[in-house]
Amino acid sequence: MKREELLGIARKILDKAVKKGYEEVMVLVRDTRESMLKIANSEPSVAQYWDMLSIELYLVKNKRIIVAGLEPSSIDELDKPLKELLSIAVRIEESPLYAPLPEPARTEPLTGIYDPGIEEALSNPGELGELVVEAAHREGIDRLAGMIDLKITGKALVTSKGGEYYEEATMMESYLRAFADPDGSGQWSTCSRRLDKGKLVEAAGIAARYAVDSRNRISVEPGVYDIVFSPMIMGNLVATITRMASAFMVYMGMSMFMKHRPGDRVASESFTLIDDPRLAELPGSTSFDDEGVPTRRKPVIEKGVFKTLLHNTRTAAKMGGETTGNAGWIMPHPWNLVVPPGEASLEELIGEVRKGLLINNNWYTRLQNSVEGVFSTITRDALFLIENGEIKAPVKKIRVAYTFPNLLQNIELIGRKQYDVKWWEIPWPTRIPYILVRKVHTSKHTA
Amino acid sequence: MIDEDLAFYALKIAGGLGASYAEARIHVNRELAIMMRNGRIIGSGIDYRRGIGVRVIVNGALGFSATNKLDKESIKQAVEKAVSIAKVSSKLLKKPITFAPARLGHANYRVLPRKSFDNMSLDEKINYLETLWKNAGEAVEKAKLPAFFTSYHENVEEKFIVNSDGGEVYSVIPRIGLFYNLVVMDPGKGSVQRWEQLGSSGGLEWLDEWRLHETLPRDIRVYEKILYEAVEPPRDKVDVVVGSEIVGLIVHESCGHPSEADRILGREAAQAGMSFIKPGMIGERIGSVHVTVIDDPTIPGGYGFYLYDDETVPARPKYLYYKGLINEHLHNRWTASIYGVESNGSARAMDYRSEPIIRMSNTYFKPGTYSLEELIEDIHRGVYMKTYMEWNIDDERWSQRYIGLEAYLIENGEIKGLVRNPVLELTTKSFYSSIDAVGKDLKFYAGTCGKGEPAQGVPVWFGGPSVRIRNIRLGVAPK
Repeated sequence: MKREELLGIARKILDKAVKKGYEEVMVLVRDTRESMLKIANSEPSVAQYWDMLSIELYLVKNKRIIVAGLEPSSIDELDKPLKELLSIAVRIEESPLYAPLPEPARTEPLTGIYDPGIEEALSNPGELGELVVEAAHREGIDRLAGMIDLKITGKALVTSKGGEYYEEATMMESYLRAFADPDGSGQWSTCSRRLDKGKLVEAAGIAARYAVDSRNRISVEPGVYDIVFSPMIMGNLVATITRMASAFMVYMGMSMFMKHRPGDRVASESFTLIDDPRLAELPGSTSFDDEGVPTRRKPVIEKGVFKTLLHNTRTAAKMGGETTGNAGWIMPHPWNLVVPPGEASLEELIGEVRKGLLINNNWYTRLQNSVEGVFSTITRDALFLIENGEIKAPVKKIRVAYTFPNLLQNIELIGRKQYDVKWWEIPWPTRIPYILVRKVHTSKHTA
Repeated sequence: MIDEDLAFYALKIAGGLGASYAEARIHVNRELAIMMRNGRIIGSGIDYRRGIGVRVIVNGALGFSATNKLDKESIKQAVEKAVSIAKVSSKLLKKPITFAPARLGHANYRVLPRKSFDNMSLDEKINYLETLWKNAGEAVEKAKLPAFFTSYHENVEEKFIVNSDGGEVYSVIPRIGLFYNLVVMDPGKGSVQRWEQLGSSGGLEWLDEWRLHETLPRDIRVYEKILYEAVEPPRDKVDVVVGSEIVGLIVHESCGHPSEADRILGREAAQAGMSFIKPGMIGERIGSVHVTVIDDPTIPGGYGFYLYDDETVPARPKYLYYKGLINEHLHNRWTASIYGVESNGSARAMDYRSEPIIRMSNTYFKPGTYSLEELIEDIHRGVYMKTYMEWNIDDERWSQRYIGLEAYLIENGEIKGLVRNPVLELTTKSFYSSIDAVGKDLKFYAGTCGKGEPAQGVPVWFGGPSVRIRNIRLGVAPK
């Protein structure tokens, strides 16, 4: 569906809601076509395709807030839920998170977020599957698993303040995990607004080389190590930290930023973390947020100093400050995360380590206490022992068991090459280099 | 209301396009949620998702397509897409996908709540959440309760599934859920965070069962005590009584997940990972004779309750570990065909957008005969870990870690004071092999289990009694 068709649907729903008696309304309509090839044991396990129209409603009656996600077959089908929701609205109390809708604003369209190449590839993800399987096997692996996801989304937003916004964008995402017998494995991911076969082949190659290089692992004792984190694991840790920078997480009591104010030093001076929705190359890019607020690039942490929580209009009104253009109607969230590059090559990062580890990938990051930032995560895939600035041997799985405040303070060096990553454990597209952190605590099973 | 004809229509189109197997599932999920923070409603919402998911086998390849545009033309296009992308991906295929023969259901069932959602007005539901806040706030004495977040959920899952092998099942399952997160804090002492998810199939009767308004104040007083009184756990080897809540999670993570046959065969290798269980390991010892773990979708009230899976195979209890041996895996019709067995009905899809994949339902450690006092009475020095917050397990489900939240020192057979953040970090085999006594206090806990791509979260129960493990070295959480 194209611009006028989607905006037309959104307008009709808005009119209907206003006529029903809602004082403030936002309607977000998304039309999505998506195909995904899932690969296991170097062959397709399933090819999937979606064609979907979804409608999200934000409704206010007497400062009571209701949100709804609906999938009606016709606009008339909305009469009933709109009436039911009104009966809920009048019975709940005024929300402490209420704030008036933002005034309509002019947004600067993003260029380069739509690639017709994705449209063409949508019907045949098998060809891309063949490409990555071949690329990975060229490195001498035994098996490849992963997925390639292609998507076209049109989104239309209208608000009862008169705001009307539309954007159409494409995206490609892929993550690949290679296995080399007897015990080697490596995983990498990539993402883009464009169909980029070069990036797919690069991701397959990195995953495969990690797999081959990590065969015949030895055990190391847990302890305190200097660790070179790859973009995959650091992407996950940075996402976990940024999720806690959502003002709503602070409000819920699930954030280490409950203890901090903008201006506090929370990380080493070498570390900057930016939310950049204007970075058109990454698939989180958008010119307007879910309230129609123009998006902007902003540091969450700049040279080690905490700069801002991520806000929508309501959390900003409640907690002080202004919206950062990160709505989410309920929960503000980042769009694209960027850690700016440093100057070190990967070899130089490794060269700085007397005794330490290089970690390719992880999963299952969980917190004992979000407020204190106490967490652990377990490695998967390639992991190497570094001694006197050189990689000595691949090693078996270990946990990073540490605190986020300490991890951030101990960041020492940032790599110069950034990678675009996103997968299961990295929910937002992230452009990030390899990063060296000193004195990281690790842990392992004791029995 | 589900228009069953649309599912038959999809099946007919798929047959005409040469699919050797086809399945259509019209799947509706309706949910109401109310969110409250510190006694005030911050918002409420409804979510209504409905559409059709179609799965086909063409040229030996599996294709899946979904749409929420429920007109015949859109459904026809969805089926055509499922067929065409299966066809193009089949060129890469080494071995065709086949489904094992199965006795499929032809059934219609509905879970009837003892107390339907209409039995309480919205005001009463809100009042209940307010009571939780009031009781929680009154429980703290010295410390503060800066954040207390609750959300109430009621949802109904309705689906109609039909497939070309003759299966035809309609079902309606209502579920209720409560979630809370709280922080007890003293600026000089730090903080304790606790969140919990409660959930069951059925209706409002579960609020009476859970009695959260009564249990929360008691728990919060314990969290406050942890701040002021808890000491470091012992560092030497001790005996550990692992509480029911942690045992439930352990069996989910280190028995249920590694027993998923699709994971064993590598289908989820890039996502949820592999399994330490390899083909041919049925009958191998994983634990002591006290260890039996069952996955049973048919437990009434279970958050993961169902009677037929999403391939229309009848559900039944599966004895995954039996008396310490690896005994049976979770199968769908594809893995059953590779293993040369019958599917045991473990295929589930989160919603119409999701392909059915192998999932747990209600997984639990079979209870024994010991009371909690009996588990503790002959421990000279040990720790009782009752609840947890942080946990994780590696992607082969071998090395696992749990950090206790409410945990006590045991000395000379008696529970003493609180210990802070003891870490139980051990392998799957060590845990199950170290068990020498099993309690009778079976209890179930709710969770939303994630798997698949796109990721699917499905409701599950996991449960167990308290168990005793001997001679374990505990760790300490980082500060």
